[in-house]
Amino acid sequence: MATIEIGSAVSRAGVRVDGMLKVADLPDGQPMQIPVTIVQGPADGPVLWLHGCVHGNEYCGAYIIQAFLRGLDPQALRGTVVALPFLNLTASQRNQRMSPFEGYNVGDLNRCFPGKADGGLTDQIGHVVWTHLKRHATHLVDFHTALTADTHWSLVAGHAGKVREHGLAMARAFGYSPCLPTPTDMLAGSAMMAAGAAGIPALIIEAGGIGPAFTPETVREGADRLRNVARQVGVLAEKVVDHGRLTLVSSFAWCKSAHGGLFKPAVRCGQPVKKGGVIGTFFDTHGEKVADERAPATGVVLAINPGPLLPQGDILVHIGLEPRLETAATE
Amino acid sequence: MAMKEIVVGTAISKAAGRKKGSLRIGTLPDGSPMEIPVVIVRGSKPGPVLWLHGCVHGNEYCGTFIIHEMLSRLRPAALTGTVVALPALNITAFQKGQRMSPFEGFAGGDLNRNFPGDATGTLTQQMAYAIYKPLKRHATHLVDFHTAMTEDVAWALYADVGGKTGKESEKMARAFGYRSTLPAPPTILGGSALMTAAKDGIPAMIVECGGKGPAFTQEAMRDGADRLENILRALGMVKGAVVDHGKLNYFSNFAWVHATKGGLFQRSVRCGDRIEPGSVLGQYYDLHGRPNGEALAPKGGIVLAIHPGPMIGSGETLIHIGLDPREV
Repeated sequence: MATIEIGSAVSRAGVRVDGMLKVADLPDGQPMQIPVTIVQGPADGPVLWLHGCVHGNEYCGAYIIQAFLRGLDPQALRGTVVALPFLNLTASQRNQRMSPFEGYNVGDLNRCFPGKADGGLTDQIGHVVWTHLKRHATHLVDFHTALTADTHWSLVAGHAGKVREHGLAMARAFGYSPCLPTPTDMLAGSAMMAAGAAGIPALIIEAGGIGPAFTPETVREGADRLRNVARQVGVLAEKVVDHGRLTLVSSFAWCKSAHGGLFKPAVRCGQPVKKGGVIGTFFDTHGEKVADERAPATGVVLAINPGPLLPQGDILVHIGLEPRLETAATE
Repeated sequence: MAMKEIVVGTAISKAAGRKKGSLRIGTLPDGSPMEIPVVIVRGSKPGPVLWLHGCVHGNEYCGTFIIHEMLSRLRPAALTGTVVALPALNITAFQKGQRMSPFEGFAGGDLNRNFPGDATGTLTQQMAYAIYKPLKRHATHLVDFHTAMTEDVAWALYADVGGKTGKESEKMARAFGYRSTLPAPPTILGGSALMTAAKDGIPAMIVECGGKGPAFTQEAMRDGADRLENILRALGMVKGAVVDHGKLNYFSNFAWVHATKGGLFQRSVRCGDRIEPGSVLGQYYDLHGRPNGEALAPKGGIVLAIHPGPMIGSGETLIHIGLDPREV
């Protein structure tokens, strides 16, 4: 069985090992390190790579990964689980999306893969993580979320053939619907699309809600669903739970607010919306109604801004387009 | 008979009806005015002047929405006295979703420790001065809206300063009727609008409702507005029987407990829970997800506020405990 070495974590068959991976230097010269856990079974098999907090304040995924790891018996694995629950750790420490040490390059880590060894800070972090991911991973699950606790959907790398096919099988095993099989011209620089282009089936789970806006139920349930993905890819020799067919969307529309002010949403995640339908209302600071905001497209709500205050141009709603139920769970 | 004029910034009320305007509380670094919204709703009959304000701490939004809801329910023809509402006091902090003004420099900038303010002080002191002047001139009663971290925050304080002011403050707190209530002794919360007003003879209470940022529910907001409406009934400003919320849990004081340990944290208690010294408040985990110790209660009482996690740093507020609860 091949040894997997990621930073100070060096795999050993039949046990769980924890270590740290240096991804960059901090301004005081200390290492910027992120946690790595490798759980390797006694038998050969796939390498399921899990990571979270690519966006620092999307904590729910880190909690799901950790709850899943606590439930794993290393002796029962076929193959390996590699977990990096906090990729963008300095952003997580500050409860923000991007690293506070990033300067000029905006620093969205999920637009920086496969990274660049001599790029900006976030490019360099992307490069370090990607080097290991590409060498070892046979499957990737990347955890993200949007604003509210009811965020529940998924994306898979849509690269034709095995990548799309296996990605959708993983998405079905996780069982969040809707799901976007992501066209290859979308989300460039995401770990998911970089993995897909390198032939690694990849799934993004959007679960929970940013900051503390997630529930213990989502974590518990997410860990169960993740275990089902481990069964599906063959890391665990257990029967895969059938969550039914996915609702596939063809793409998504980000809607930015045309107004600023106090916002009260009128829709929830998972709800269908029609183009022109009211998705929420703006009020001024005196408490008087300013205007209704309307859906720019027909589809299903993937994310909604809970308010209570929004500047003009903030993301108001994220709509999955052309939702349709899979004809069979084999598409 | 001409009514006494009530002037708060550009909101000028001389007769029954609704007036809105803005109050200038400072100047921004580019020279433009820092202004906050004011709404005055005046009834056809003279009576109390109930002053409502929210977002003294900029990210405690639930109070703003409770005040807005209350304003939408008021009809001048059915109102005795006047409601003066300033739903977003610390407007620049409000805009940024943070507790204190981003323009405050050296003085800490907790607006609720800077009343009655200082016309020549730092930004937050000057803001407090501009707000307190009309408050002191016009208000006969004050309700100040705050909150803590999670959506289940629901408690209140009133100025237990004795005399008529203390009694009237308690009457408001009982009409609001949150079960967890602190009769706040005059020795605490110096510089708060609550204590400053009470010492000037204006009965005052603080409502802690909702959860900061977006962490409040529409139910908490509507319930808060219903309870606020009950204060208006208790003060004789609107008609209707005063709802009796029954016995309340009064505290002797509260204890703020800071975290002396950081990391991933998951709470195991909710606001309103009874705890004993040594009760488990939550579980710490390390970055690898391994259990890393429990947080224990240093004192017994009722949970008023608890840190929601998911990450906590040294010195952050872990828990806020109401001490010595007794039914009154």
